[in-house]
Amino acid sequence: MTSTFANLMGGFETALLPFNLLMALVGTLLGTAIGVLPGIGPALTIALLLPVTFQLAPETAFIMFAGILYGAMYGGSTTSILLNTPGESSSIVTAIEGNRMARNGRGAAALATAAIGSFVAGTIGTVLLTFLAPAFAELAFTFGPTEYFALMVLAFTTISAVMGTSRTRGFTSLLLGLALCVIGIDSQTGAQRMTFGSPNLLDGIPFTIVLVSLFAIGEMLYIVAHTKPSAPSLNPLSGGLWMRKSDWQRSWRPWLRGTVIGFPIGILPAGGSEVPTFLSYALEKKLAGTPSEFGNGAIEGVAGPEAANNAATAGVLVPLLTLGLPTSATTAVLLSALQGYGLQPGPLLFVNNATLVWSIIASLFIGNLMLLVLNLPLAGIWVRLLLIPRPYLYAGITTFSLVGVWGVSGSVFDLRIMLAAGLAGYFMRVYDFPVAPLLVGMILGPLAEQHLRRSLAISQGDPSILISSPISAVLLALAALVILSPLVLKVVARKTQKTAVEVVATSVNPK
Amino acid sequence: MTSWLRRPWWVGVAIIAMGSVWLYGASTLSQSSSISGVGPGIFVTLIGVALIVCGVVLVFQMSRSVDDLAAPAEEGAGKTPFQAVPFVTALVAVASPMLLMTSVGFPLTAALIFAAVTHAFGSRRILFDLAVGAVLSSTSWFVFRWLGVELGSFLPLLRL
Repeated sequence: MTSTFANLMGGFETALLPFNLLMALVGTLLGTAIGVLPGIGPALTIALLLPVTFQLAPETAFIMFAGILYGAMYGGSTTSILLNTPGESSSIVTAIEGNRMARNGRGAAALATAAIGSFVAGTIGTVLLTFLAPAFAELAFTFGPTEYFALMVLAFTTISAVMGTSRTRGFTSLLLGLALCVIGIDSQTGAQRMTFGSPNLLDGIPFTIVLVSLFAIGEMLYIVAHTKPSAPSLNPLSGGLWMRKSDWQRSWRPWLRGTVIGFPIGILPAGGSEVPTFLSYALEKKLAGTPSEFGNGAIEGVAGPEAANNAATAGVLVPLLTLGLPTSATTAVLLSALQGYGLQPGPLLFVNNATLVWSIIASLFIGNLMLLVLNLPLAGIWVRLLLIPRPYLYAGITTFSLVGVWGVSGSVFDLRIMLAAGLAGYFMRVYDFPVAPLLVGMILGPLAEQHLRRSLAISQGDPSILISSPISAVLLALAALVILSPLVLKVVARKTQKTAVEVVATSVNPK
Repeated sequence: MTSWLRRPWWVGVAIIAMGSVWLYGASTLSQSSSISGVGPGIFVTLIGVALIVCGVVLVFQMSRSVDDLAAPAEEGAGKTPFQAVPFVTALVAVASPMLLMTSVGFPLTAALIFAAVTHAFGSRRILFDLAVGAVLSSTSWFVFRWLGVELGSFLPLLRL
């Protein structure tokens, strides 16, 4: 406990350096802006910034990324409430009650409960991260290659099963990512794999180029082909900027409940920050004294989900920093950024790069405070970003994507990848294939393969080693359960239905 | 809407084809190794097989209509049927850097893309959009160069 506190203080020393504070401010401003704007999220922003941030010290870069991560959550809620336009997927639920409140002239109170709830949950989440992460890291020291492989298999299956509308689509997306990650020279044997004789493919497919193209180009192609944008209509910020006494009384419990739901789900592989918002909303609706108010602007329906998504954002950093396990597209790009600096997240990161880890955690506290101060008074200004005409918004995103792709290596081959991945992103969007499993597969695939091959090398090719330790056996059993449970449930449901039909038939036509 | 768009079984076929390519690629690689037990081909084989399995399931699933499965468009925007001309214009814009980048450089290429994308989104102020694109791309070129990101020559044809 004492050493954790001392480490955190050391982190604050780094995070409070003037240049790092400036970068935290830049990150929070940028994060809020991209949270407000459609078509661009934290994963894409961080990926586009990577060529620039590699010129900075890793601590400074990650302090900025932490600001972007939290800022996007705040920005997303602002547009959800005032425009019924969720800038981020984790703010979809906020729009249900928040926008209704705004239409009833209570937009300011909705923004306030969202911002304060986010601050409370973000701060509690960061405190939990501060004390839980070292414990997780200690636990991770006991993990060998078999346990790591099993953990990655579990992450793959849960991410594929949870994201998107169908498991098959989720698994296909994951496999596409895994298929891309094997292209290039095999790091263990030096053999060329799936390069089709092209020297351009020897170094593999660059992760950031695929990410930028899937998100930015794919989204732009989808919007241009399938939508007709209409001008946004702003709801007035009437009703005073501050919350009433009754609003406080109705908000504090949902904030805490949202935190309790959000943080642990964020830690889980495939938790992400969307699922807890839906759970929090459902719970608040169930616990509400007047459930009929839900759908007509219940403040609990804003306070709970907003707290849940910020607590989950702190939660997702636990598996990333302690195990090197990304559970969302944004954490996948953060892992890629760490790898770009030659750092591998995991328990050793806390030993070898303690300054980096603790300055990131300290910057989360600072970023949260900055966002609270910035967002409450500036909400009206942020939302005006949406008045940027759609043609210029998407043309601007495309131009910056070109900087991100061309700036990496100045290679025409990368521009071809941009076109192909952009088209793939378009089709994935049209036919509802989730993008996150592809990215997680692509970034985690090489590590999973490495651990699999190390395990099999230890056992001289005997695959039973994968279930030889209790931890790996349990993790693989859970992964199997995730895959097989819907099939089993379907068979059970069919049998139950058949029995019920037989019982009904017998009772109607007794022999 | 045509049946192949409403029932996109061909997506599953494409996944099966990709899985087959990966399986073929794996067959050219060693599946075992005397040192580590498994060779560089085993992971590729597993992926190829899994892709084919997913592809087969997708063919069955997507033979049914998925018209309503497509993700919702951004809120506040009305979803419309597929608009071919804007899509092709935007696609050409994204493809054009492959031909233009090395000869005309980043600022001009990005300005052209900017104007083409705005055109695809319905803007008809071509000269204005080109000017906005040129200002944005030139500023980006100078700022990113200052930040240490190399975006090539400003105007390669003029050796600038």
